Amino acid sequence: MSTTEKKRNGQETDEVWELRLYTAGQTPKSIAALANLKRICEEHLHGKYKIEVVDLMANPRLAKEHQIVAIPTLVKKLPQPLRQIIGDLSDKERALVGLQLRQIDR
Amino acid sequence: MEFDMSEAEQLRQAIAAGEVDAFLVGKDDKDKRVLLLAGAYQRYRQLVEQMQQGAITCSVHGDILYANQRFAEMLGTPMAQLYAAPLEGYVSSPDRARLSSFLLVSARNSTIDIAFTRRDGTLMPARLELVNFADGYASILVTRLAQLQWARAAEDALNLMRGSVETLNRAGLADAQAKRAVDTLAREINALSKLLDEIGSSAT
Repeated sequence: MSTTEKKRNGQETDEVWELRLYTAGQTPKSIAALANLKRICEEHLHGKYKIEVVDLMANPRLAKEHQIVAIPTLVKKLPQPLRQIIGDLSDKERALVGLQLRQIDR
Repeated sequence: MEFDMSEAEQLRQAIAAGEVDAFLVGKDDKDKRVLLLAGAYQRYRQLVEQMQQGAITCSVHGDILYANQRFAEMLGTPMAQLYAAPLEGYVSSPDRARLSSFLLVSARNSTIDIAFTRRDGTLMPARLELVNFADGYASILVTRLAQLQWARAAEDALNLMRGSVETLNRAGLADAQAKRAVDTLAREINALSKLLDEIGSSAT
């Protein structure tokens, strides 16, 4: 892993990752997304993260800040840049790339 | 190079993989609401992603909850713009009232012929067939009407030719040259029929 990548992962900085997960109550995909997100954070961010769960079933207007279409959707607020990952995060590789925790060459 | 998947493609992949089970719909903040998808619909979506025919799922209010890639291509519109958008926004003005009635009645196997307005402003005549309706969701197949009409006309013409060949065969042709001509005609009909099937499966 390169130094840049380690920094991006928060492993060489004290930067705390701020993540917001938009859910629709207790649907299977929403529950799965939260479970998968926690697992990914524990493995790759080592405690340097905050997860905020926003239940759009309870209040759909809370999606105003971000352009949410499908649920669940994860928004990486910090570190910049802001990124969105749609889905239950069951595809770990896609989730890591989306969070910029892993780069791919093409 | 960093991976930079467009949101529309990401959305398409997530839906096709069955990774989402709800959509946020509504025109403005006051109107926003969450629509949940049942498991059967997720499987349905995975299937229709592979279809060559347009497929959409709408609420009875006409919000597009799902559209496959083929439908987006038909309209020349990015997929991301279609999700949660009102279907009537893509339908020509004179057909909007009929579309609303079609969705409100939601009778299975009912059809309606309407014209969509493509992104470039051209009209696309299409036949909508409501294939399923459950829990407030209408699953609709979309077929370009010009292709449908053309395919039917070609099929009718081929059936007429087949009938003529059968009649000639039943009459018992004595002349060898006439027999060969009829055999050749029968082979050409089969070849045309096969071609028609191929065109139909790739162009609809």
